[in-house]
Amino acid sequence: MADDAVPLPWKADVQAARRGDPSAFESLVRSVQRQVYGLALRLLQSEAEAAEISQEALLRAYQNLHRYDDSRPFDLWVLAITRNLCLDLLRRRTKVRTEELEPMKEVLPSGEASQEEGAIAREERQSLEEAMATLSVDDREVLALYYVQKRTTKEIAQILGCAPGTIMARLFRAREKLRKKMTTEEAPR
Amino acid sequence: MSAHLCPDLEVLFAELEEGEGPALDHAAECEACAAVLEDHRLLEKDLYRLADPLPPPTLVASVMARVAAEPVPQRREVWSGLAILMTSLVGGLGYLVLNDQALSRLGTGVASFVVEGRLFAEGVLSGARALWSTEGLAVAAILAFLLVTSLAGLKRLAGSAPTPSEA
Ligand SMILES: [Zn+2]
Repeated sequence: MADDAVPLPWKADVQAARRGDPSAFESLVRSVQRQVYGLALRLLQSEAEAAEISQEALLRAYQNLHRYDDSRPFDLWVLAITRNLCLDLLRRRTKVRTEELEPMKEVLPSGEASQEEGAIAREERQSLEEAMATLSVDDREVLALYYVQKRTTKEIAQILGCAPGTIMARLFRAREKLRKKMTTEEAPR
Repeated sequence: MSAHLCPDLEVLFAELEEGEGPALDHAAECEACAAVLEDHRLLEKDLYRLADPLPPPTLVASVMARVAAEPVPQRREVWSGLAILMTSLVGGLGYLVLNDQALSRLGTGVASFVVEGRLFAEGVLSGARALWSTEGLAVAAILAFLLVTSLAGLKRLAGSAPTPSEA
């Protein structure tokens, strides 16, 4: 009874999509596509690969819709699929071409705010993105989920499949690495 | 001023989240820690301003084109339920065919039940006795497993039908 009071906005679409209603699944895709692509791009640092993995993740979500527990948030489930696919690709990538990989060449996402913000803010954001791109995947994923996607530590734990208590410490370590990179960049002594 | 008195940064930031604590009290009096906190505040402000990039405008259409080529999820569910049922049926038949003894004992039991018109309970009992005298626990366990997997298959089939509350 108490559970019924919690709004589950994705539930009706999930159930309709399970019965084969494509427009219901399309609205689910629209609701998560930006988060899915955003996470994929931060992990993979390649627009082409991020687009490919996003497609694959959303297709897998459709194929496994009958296994999905719709009392859990749909976006977290799809993000977990996306992350796993990204990590698989990164593993394959390091195996195939360790040397030829050029880090962070097409990383910088264009937020909607970019037109309104001034040149200084844009430059700051650019250097922050660049510093973030030099961090490890583990660091990038917690920073992206916590700060960019504004997720709670509990939600992040669900996506990463780990204990919520570990997220704050991971976040701290990632942020400290970033802070050091930013300060050495700003004030080279 | 001495650096060794300054709290661990992780503790300091944890207290910052909670809004109070001895490390935070220390930072209010310590220039070095106050500077770290200010750094942290600015970094978080910048980080929070980052946004997810817009996905390629073709993403939804590409996904939906691939989805159109897929079977409906619920039908997939029905098929997987049927597959489980068929596998357990084939497994059960295969076991009986391969195990002559069990088959003949079972056959005898069934024949005597049909021909002599014994009571149903008696037939079941003799079947159970036959199983017990041939392979004992192993047969019983296999049959129980087959029964459970069949029930799982049936449950999947039944569960996939839309319930009244969904409609
Ligand atoms: Zn201090």
